Amino acid sequence: MTIYSFIVIYPLISSLVLSLYRWPGVGERVFVGLQNFRTIFTGAFRTELFNAFFHNVYFFVLNTSLELGLGFLIAIMLASKIRGAKIFRTLTFIPNMIPIVIVGFMWRLFLNPQVGLVNQFLQTVGLGGLARPWLGDADLALTTIIFVNVWRNLGFYVLVILAAILDIPNELFEAAYIDGANNRKVVWRIIFPLTFSTFRTLAILLFIWSFNIFDMVYALTGVQAGPFRSTDVLGTLFYRTAFGGLGAAAVDMGLGASITVFIFAVVMPASILYVYLAERRQRGA
Amino acid sequence: MKKRIILLVLTAVMIASMALAVGEVTIWSWRTQDAEVWRQVQAAMRAEGINVTIKFEAFAPTEYDSKINLALQTGTGPDLVYSRRLPGGRTAELIKNRLYLPITDLVDTSNFPEAALNSVSYEGDVFGVPFAVQVVGIFYNKDIYDRLGLSEPGTWDELVSNAEAIKAAGTTPFFIPGLEAWALTMQHAMTGVSILGPDWILDLTEGRTNFLDPKFTDLNKKLNDLKVYYQPGFLANSTIDQDAAFAFEQAAMVFYGVWGYQTWKELNPDLNVGYFMIPPATADQDPYAYTYLDGAIAMTSNVKNRQGAIEVLKFAAKPDFGTIFADITFNIPAVMGADLPDDELFKEAVNTYENHASPYVYWVGSVFVTQKPSLYDDVLSPGMQALYAGRITPEELSQMAQDAISQWYPPLMSE
Repeated sequence: MTIYSFIVIYPLISSLVLSLYRWPGVGERVFVGLQNFRTIFTGAFRTELFNAFFHNVYFFVLNTSLELGLGFLIAIMLASKIRGAKIFRTLTFIPNMIPIVIVGFMWRLFLNPQVGLVNQFLQTVGLGGLARPWLGDADLALTTIIFVNVWRNLGFYVLVILAAILDIPNELFEAAYIDGANNRKVVWRIIFPLTFSTFRTLAILLFIWSFNIFDMVYALTGVQAGPFRSTDVLGTLFYRTAFGGLGAAAVDMGLGASITVFIFAVVMPASILYVYLAERRQRGA
Repeated sequence: MKKRIILLVLTAVMIASMALAVGEVTIWSWRTQDAEVWRQVQAAMRAEGINVTIKFEAFAPTEYDSKINLALQTGTGPDLVYSRRLPGGRTAELIKNRLYLPITDLVDTSNFPEAALNSVSYEGDVFGVPFAVQVVGIFYNKDIYDRLGLSEPGTWDELVSNAEAIKAAGTTPFFIPGLEAWALTMQHAMTGVSILGPDWILDLTEGRTNFLDPKFTDLNKKLNDLKVYYQPGFLANSTIDQDAAFAFEQAAMVFYGVWGYQTWKELNPDLNVGYFMIPPATADQDPYAYTYLDGAIAMTSNVKNRQGAIEVLKFAAKPDFGTIFADITFNIPAVMGADLPDDELFKEAVNTYENHASPYVYWVGSVFVTQKPSLYDDVLSPGMQALYAGRITPEELSQMAQDAISQWYPPLMSE
């Protein structure tokens, strides 16, 4: 408990306290009360904050839909014992083992507008008209980052959903097929309802992770989250505010801490819901 | 008596060996390319009889400042660090909190020009040994220019017609790393010193004009109009892409700094590189170059080997250091009197620094980047990307700059 308090509770309270101060990272802290919150919720900063916030929302919606949707489809394919299922399962999980920094470096090369693998591939298959400067187009950059994130993490969701599917007693499938159910009905009437609690848990976790996203954006478009903040999320906004982006501009750890308090306020209800559902599930078991 | 003599001799030997052996000195930097510099400095110091071991560590530039802040406050920092120049919020805070130590009376700084020392001085004390000066401008492929019969442009219009001729010949005139917003800000700033001129920048700094001046908007427009000569999809390219494209002759020109020269030559030793300052709008104006002090080597309050650190700083303040530094990095050393590499481009960069440096600037080294919202971080970095993407007009970029800086810079605040 002491160790837990030191690792989790202390930094949390420390951030809350820091959000009430002005502090450039060194030297004396100046108590400013709620001024930092007034700054982030008013004026020019407000625009930046909500620009980043809505990017987090978009990240959550698209990322969750793709990871859970594709994860479910692939898990069903693997559960139906197709040939090469084991190899495919391993293949989907491999990107998960690559460090984010390397994923970022690799995909920046793949997405290079002139010589990148993605545009070269599109040109080779006759779809050259679809070639784009993926990370340089403000309309596409965040979506591109989400796709790279899905590429990296999909294997994890496939494994979790597959485990939930394999947990369903075989008798249920046998009875359904004897009663004349087709594959579609089995998926929607048996598999989906019986794995729903897994989806619910994963969706809550994805919500929390989506609002804490930083590394993938940082690795692909950097701390400036360009082009012109079109990939900015609360994590990158916090980093620029607390630690500085470029040049010699003043930084403010206190203002940065107030952004983390905002993130915490968004994520906290989801965390409570997650804990509540997990406990209820445990009691049910 | 015999015992006393032996004791005396032993004491003398011990004192002598202590004077030579200064032990390990740790240095942190954001410049990975300097590792070899410090290996050679260590060898040179040892050759002078100073038995020092230099442990050099480099960190990612984006994480460097936070790492220094944290390490120095927790007492886990190195003896010496590469510090950012002044004026600058970060360095000033470190000095104010006594995390950087003054070296005024410890190191002879007579080999440095006053301008370089001004960038490391705070309230009358010197807080570091300046190490490099950067010169930025347009670097071009001389072979492509020769092949097309082009010459260095004297005006902005001539630059545009050179670009037109290069494009017509099937080569990309400019390679722009638009994914890295800082490079676009640098492009704006280096163009500004010639197109707007130092007098206009002084007027801006002293509040006699502001960013809404049509001249500033015209500069935005000039740059925006130039984008037809950039490579397709340039907003998705990084400086790594730029280095490869320029070194392997895929593009004729880049807006960059002299620090890129080392990489280009490593990638393609046969590359024939030339340099010119951004040409002014008209032939009767003088061109200027954006030059700035890259930083200094500062002694920290965490210093564990004070004597060793001072010895290293003393060496870094000598022309010999400049000779090693320039030879390895192809950067211009801040220390005067060094033997410089026999290279045409390098000599031109040094000449530019000495004779054509703009005395007033609005990017690195200016007051406009020291507070938030900063002209660098918050205006020109996202603003130039937005301008090039067609999301804002040149007028709107000017308005963005005025709105941001007038929030905190009194001379530009409206009455």
